[in-house]
Amino acid sequence: MKTTKIISTILLTVLCAPLFTSCDSKDDVINAPEVSTGIFVLNQGKFGANNAGITYYDFTTSFASADLFLDKNDRGLGDTGQDMIKYGSKLYVAVYKSSIIEVVNPYTGKSIKSIPMKNAQDASSSPRSMVALNGKVYISLFDGHVAKLDTVSLTIEKTIAVGPNPEGIVIANNKLYVANSGGMQTMKDSTVSVIDLATFAETKKIKVNINPGTLKADAYGDVYVVSKGNYGSIPGKFQRIEAGTDKVTDIAIDVKNFDIVGDNAYISNFDYDDKWQAANKTIAVYDVKNEKIISANIIKSDIIKTPYCINVDPTTKNIYLGVSDYENNGKMYCFAPDGTLKYTFTTGLNPAKVIFITK
Amino acid sequence: MHIAFLFCSSFVHADEYETDTAHVRKLQTLTVNGQRLHVARASMPLQIISEKEISVLNALNVTDIAKYFSGVIVKDYGGIGGLKTVSLHGMGAKYTGVSYDGAMLSDMQSGEIDLGRYSLENISEVSMNIGHPTDIFQTARMFSSGSVLCLKTKLLEYDKNKNFEGKASIKTGSFGFINPSFFIAKNIGKKWAFNFSSDAVTANGEYKFLQYYGSKNNISEELKRSNTDIKSIRTEINGLYRIKKNENISLKANYFGSERGLPGSVTFYNHDDSKQRLEDKLFFVQLHYDNRVSPKFQHQYFAKFNRIFNHYSDKDPKYAGGILNDNYLQHEYYLSSTFKYNIIEALALSASTDWWYNDLDIESNINFKDFKYPTRYTGLANIAAKYSSNNMNVVANLLYTLTRESTKTGTASPNRNKLSPSISASYKLLEDKELRIRAFYKNIYRLPSFNDLYYQEIGNTNLRPENANQFDFGITYLENDIAFLDEFLFNLDAYYNKVTDKIIAIPRDLFHWSMINKGKVDIKGLDANLRMSVKINKQNNVKIMGSYTLLNAKDKTVGTDNYDEQIPYTPTHSGTCSVSFVHKKIETGYNLFFSGERWIGQITQPTNKMDGYMTHSIFANTSYKRLKISAEILNLLNTQYEVVQFYPMPRRNYRISLTMNLN
Repeated sequence: MKTTKIISTILLTVLCAPLFTSCDSKDDVINAPEVSTGIFVLNQGKFGANNAGITYYDFTTSFASADLFLDKNDRGLGDTGQDMIKYGSKLYVAVYKSSIIEVVNPYTGKSIKSIPMKNAQDASSSPRSMVALNGKVYISLFDGHVAKLDTVSLTIEKTIAVGPNPEGIVIANNKLYVANSGGMQTMKDSTVSVIDLATFAETKKIKVNINPGTLKADAYGDVYVVSKGNYGSIPGKFQRIEAGTDKVTDIAIDVKNFDIVGDNAYISNFDYDDKWQAANKTIAVYDVKNEKIISANIIKSDIIKTPYCINVDPTTKNIYLGVSDYENNGKMYCFAPDGTLKYTFTTGLNPAKVIFITK
Repeated sequence: MHIAFLFCSSFVHADEYETDTAHVRKLQTLTVNGQRLHVARASMPLQIISEKEISVLNALNVTDIAKYFSGVIVKDYGGIGGLKTVSLHGMGAKYTGVSYDGAMLSDMQSGEIDLGRYSLENISEVSMNIGHPTDIFQTARMFSSGSVLCLKTKLLEYDKNKNFEGKASIKTGSFGFINPSFFIAKNIGKKWAFNFSSDAVTANGEYKFLQYYGSKNNISEELKRSNTDIKSIRTEINGLYRIKKNENISLKANYFGSERGLPGSVTFYNHDDSKQRLEDKLFFVQLHYDNRVSPKFQHQYFAKFNRIFNHYSDKDPKYAGGILNDNYLQHEYYLSSTFKYNIIEALALSASTDWWYNDLDIESNINFKDFKYPTRYTGLANIAAKYSSNNMNVVANLLYTLTRESTKTGTASPNRNKLSPSISASYKLLEDKELRIRAFYKNIYRLPSFNDLYYQEIGNTNLRPENANQFDFGITYLENDIAFLDEFLFNLDAYYNKVTDKIIAIPRDLFHWSMINKGKVDIKGLDANLRMSVKINKQNNVKIMGSYTLLNAKDKTVGTDNYDEQIPYTPTHSGTCSVSFVHKKIETGYNLFFSGERWIGQITQPTNKMDGYMTHSIFANTSYKRLKISAEILNLLNTQYEVVQFYPMPRRNYRISLTMNLN
């Protein structure tokens, strides 16, 4: 009798010991406010971690909500947010590894539709970048295609083949330009595909430096290309594709990321030190009309972590620089057009794109 | 098993007990198992799970056993084919050496061993040594890890009444799992002993799991793990020739081959089946000679050849030609010699030298265009001394490591030379009780793996080895004389580890990372172990095993947001409990495993938190004549949990096995 009692006591003690560790305290839920005037930051998240999200920073309250999409929908945006644009009354988010285009009402934060991006074999076509015109959103797909999405029916109308692993996509001269990176190929690619908008067919390929990525166009029809090189013997480059002639010219500025607003290109750059830490972080201003450097660096403040994205507010010309350490929450710096630091706020992991919302 | 028996068991025993025979005999008369005594007396923490205990732990492979040791964190990517590695005291899996019958297993490319590949069919004992085994008649390589998991295989001992042993069994269960296995051991005359074991696994590996996309009040889906099938075969042959009574030569050849799907992590809203496949062909052959003819002087030699081939493929339209094919081929040639000399009965000295050669060849249709094809010579020299008396054991060693590295193209990693010392002691507190205190210090040096140094775009040839200092203080108590207890064994260890120059990957962009020496980790913790055997009456016996681990592992890397945070995938609390009950021919049991919550990144980010979990499993087995039948229910409460984020683990599942004794 005594024996069984002791055994059961021991058993109970051993079995109950872990119980307290499994009682988790409820997480504090901070709900995102209603959207009025401010900015959305697309947080790319970590590849494979299903933690893409949208930070909403409100200009009036100066409050940055951690993840508007998660708060309003009680589900995450998905894996690896690659690009986000606002067109008409909708927000379009390309979620790369989830292989969806998430269409969101920007004023409520609620999902309107998730569009799965699949190829003819029903495998993921993996959306990368987007651009919109005349009721259509054009999406570069990492499996070597460009898709045309109708913004009323929210269905894919047509998909055409371009070069391998396309990245940036932009509209200039009534044509689509798509950077073929070839990042997943034995030899990386070095072309930009040109697609006629009326026929939605590729008309030519323009040779640029190896591994082109981001594309932006200016008001004069010139397209600017950042290429990453081969991470070895061939360095990256900043190049201009001239309107009309498609002539490619090298521009002697080091560029990691850039944005064009009005006649200015705002260029973010940095170097790596011997410990692979970002150093010499700069924002240069380049005149795209007269093709000359206005300032090699306009910022004087210390910047933490590694610059990850740059976007400029078309109205105020304030410059937003997102930084990341690739592991933790990022940070957004807001600079006045002259480069003085105005404010900062915390973003999610890997802030990749900023867009401006006015109600 | 021969080596196992000779090396890990009989020899260790000889070494530990010879000086202490009177004491041992006294304890033996009190029917204390020698293994338990070994555990209680070890000056570095030792935990042993024997074949009999293995059978009550709902275990299928070595990882399932390893998680019952305290201080252990198992990383399990789920399912039958998922990668499974073991780390100790928060130091990372690359600090865990795995010894297979006295010689270390090796994978120079990744630096870690997938324990899911080692079945338990021919294993007679699994032991976990923090630091290293305190027997000094060991290869130098045994001293070169932060901890050593020892696997011992079975070999028939010489018995003139019995020269054959064999069994055939079949296991089947959930996930389309079928696992036939076969084992025979035969003695021919007094001189020769052989055994052969083989087992095959086939499974579709599919299981359903629940995926939540937000809070647990909102949408979830029941999905199925796919591309999880596996086929594998493992074969081992052992031969032993007894030259003289204490002089043996033995040969072991082992082959493991498998072809499996890698399901990958769960991606929200994307139900594409993964197309990643992995094919493995691992072969090793090892020759061992040992001579323990004189009690004063003993020596042994190992020679080993190891070949590892892996083929990884992935079908995805993003690749040129729609497919990626990577082939990896590694070779290792290994030689070792050990000499031991007893100056006086209580004081022994040993010297061992190991030398080995590694190379790595990679072929890929897309990647590794600038691969450097590295080769490395590693030399280890170790001297050790051990003093043992009735009340006290002191063991000290000094390990010298040298590497000479070269590459076909480009720059090789610099050559390394380093001394790593360790010292450990245990002291018996009371004359008539097996109550001891122990302490150890060990410095160890972890060489970067070939992936750390040469992986395309990531590898960094300037990496320095990691440096770790381990401190431990513990108490052990063994009793066999408490009223209703057959046996009572309790260990408690407090430890402090400091890892500096930790090799971590830092990103250059989302897809390009670089390895650097930057991390610093401070680890404090407690390990507790309890073993009890309760005799209720002649026919009823209850065995209880429990372990608890407290692990406080803080990232001390200066200048990061994670400074002073618990390192990822490290639960502060974890533990196990196993209760088995024998009544006549029926054995039943219950096994519990629990892990507290873990973080996978910054602790201010709620999505970085992974919930704690508990799994409960039960079994029953019985035998009838030559047959033994066993049935198991694993994860009885159908808990959905993850060990690695977005690699869901199976919920409730079943296994039954039928074993026929061929004796």
